[in-house]
Amino acid sequence: MLPTATLAALCVFVCFGGNWLWGQTMIERPLVVGLIAGLMFGDVRTGILMGAALEAIFMGAVDIGGALSAEPVTATVLATTFAITLDVNTKAALALAVPIGVFAAFISMFLKNVVMNVFAPAVDRVAANNDPRALTWLHFGMWFLNYFVFSLVTFFSVLAGAKPVQHLVTAIPQNLMAGLSATGGLLPAVGFAILMRMLWSRQLSPYYFLGFVLSAYMALPSVAVAAMGIIIVCLQWLLDKQLLTLSQSRTQAPAQPTAVADQAKEEEAFFE
Amino acid sequence: MKLTQNVSKADRKMLNRIFWRSFTVFASRAGATKAHAPGFMYSVMPALDRYYKGDPTGHREAMQRHTTWYNITQNVGTFVMGLVAAMEKKNAETKDFDPEAIVALKTSLMGPLSGIGDSIFWGVLRVIAAGIGISLASQGSVLGPILFLIIYNVPSILTRYYLTYAGFTLGDTFIQRMYENGSMKLLSKAAATLGLMMIGSMTATMVTFKSKLAIPIQGGKPIAIQTYLDQLWKGLVPLAVTLGCYWLLSKKVNVNWILLGVLLLAIVMGLVGIV
Repeated sequence: MLPTATLAALCVFVCFGGNWLWGQTMIERPLVVGLIAGLMFGDVRTGILMGAALEAIFMGAVDIGGALSAEPVTATVLATTFAITLDVNTKAALALAVPIGVFAAFISMFLKNVVMNVFAPAVDRVAANNDPRALTWLHFGMWFLNYFVFSLVTFFSVLAGAKPVQHLVTAIPQNLMAGLSATGGLLPAVGFAILMRMLWSRQLSPYYFLGFVLSAYMALPSVAVAAMGIIIVCLQWLLDKQLLTLSQSRTQAPAQPTAVADQAKEEEAFFE
Repeated sequence: MKLTQNVSKADRKMLNRIFWRSFTVFASRAGATKAHAPGFMYSVMPALDRYYKGDPTGHREAMQRHTTWYNITQNVGTFVMGLVAAMEKKNAETKDFDPEAIVALKTSLMGPLSGIGDSIFWGVLRVIAAGIGISLASQGSVLGPILFLIIYNVPSILTRYYLTYAGFTLGDTFIQRMYENGSMKLLSKAAATLGLMMIGSMTATMVTFKSKLAIPIQGGKPIAIQTYLDQLWKGLVPLAVTLGCYWLLSKKVNVNWILLGVLLLAIVMGLVGIV
């Protein structure tokens, strides 16, 4: 079982990790994962068929903004592995795939959003030290760690076999599960608070609440909120511009235009 | 294409490097507070290295301002990378540029660009590609997965490439013009306004909380607390938690304590059955 488990874990690492390492090229989708798992276990046809069936099931499972409803890679790899190497019949393997996908999505979410937070201070430190090289190491180190740990899930699942996996998926206390998945929902608040620290001013704070209300109550998509924001900004701009020219003509300071002109000249010189 | 020919040779070299690096933008995820900030920093590093050459202080400040939360559909996000490169250039060249405008503009673009990007690439293109892929693969053909990958990736990578240039060119001319007619201050204000509005919108959509607590009533339907919370103020808990975090941050509380607090809060709520 050990070589099979290693191969399956490798498959998850390559497909899932590879997808996110390079361009989200969709090699994490069941269609592709099925093919690769099939190649690894010497039954390409079963792999492709499983992939097609699972792609249809997981079509709606998309990772948007780090929130994931079901994680298709682990599900596809485990289902295909069980079907090819353990002779679990295809239907049963497919049925097992869905709860595994949900469970794996939770583990993935927890790893990426909560566990990986321990590296957030390191990012700040690297920036404070002005060290791009360390940033590169950190960036790819985090990638490796995250997906390596994640593929261990598949490794141990294959070692355990189909039955125990099924039991485990149903045996986790619901309270704990609910609490852990609630962390994923609330943690982005800290990230937004950090962003707000940079932009907040008493004068502009109402716009934060405007954006909130537009999304929470009117359920407007973010594109619509942005469009309204741009309209507001334009109106504000025209007003501010008028005030600016007014105050400039009041003071009748010819010094300012010349300064601007000088600067423009300087810039021209710079660009040449 | 004209877009890629209008830039100088040195610019093109830098933009191509940003384009290639942008493929790795989502490789790491530094938790929910920073998300893909390291990937963003890594991607725009060619611009920072170029414009802050011989200015370690400027380079450090630029790195520090980009450590904040970042997340945009990755093949559309290159637009912002190009734009940020153009703004960092301006910031390095001029003294009275307000660098906060860079973060504000970046932040304000995250929501809408992701909205457009997710729906075009995830919602439409991927579904079309998968539809064709499934129909071939369910007959056991290897062409299924292969066509799926080609149909999705060719338009997606082209978009990624041209948007890098579009962001830079647009940013360059736009900011230049702002600068010349002295509306740089107005731009900062506008960017902050838009940024705050989009953070408000993201607070409503991406910070989520749902209570399953219900008060049983004899001989009637139980009263779900969440319904009451929603009637009181929709998204009350997410808003309160976000503002609470902001308040703590402005009181100079260490971010890690705040994080830990939010984590514990959620887990405890789960254990006692609130969520």
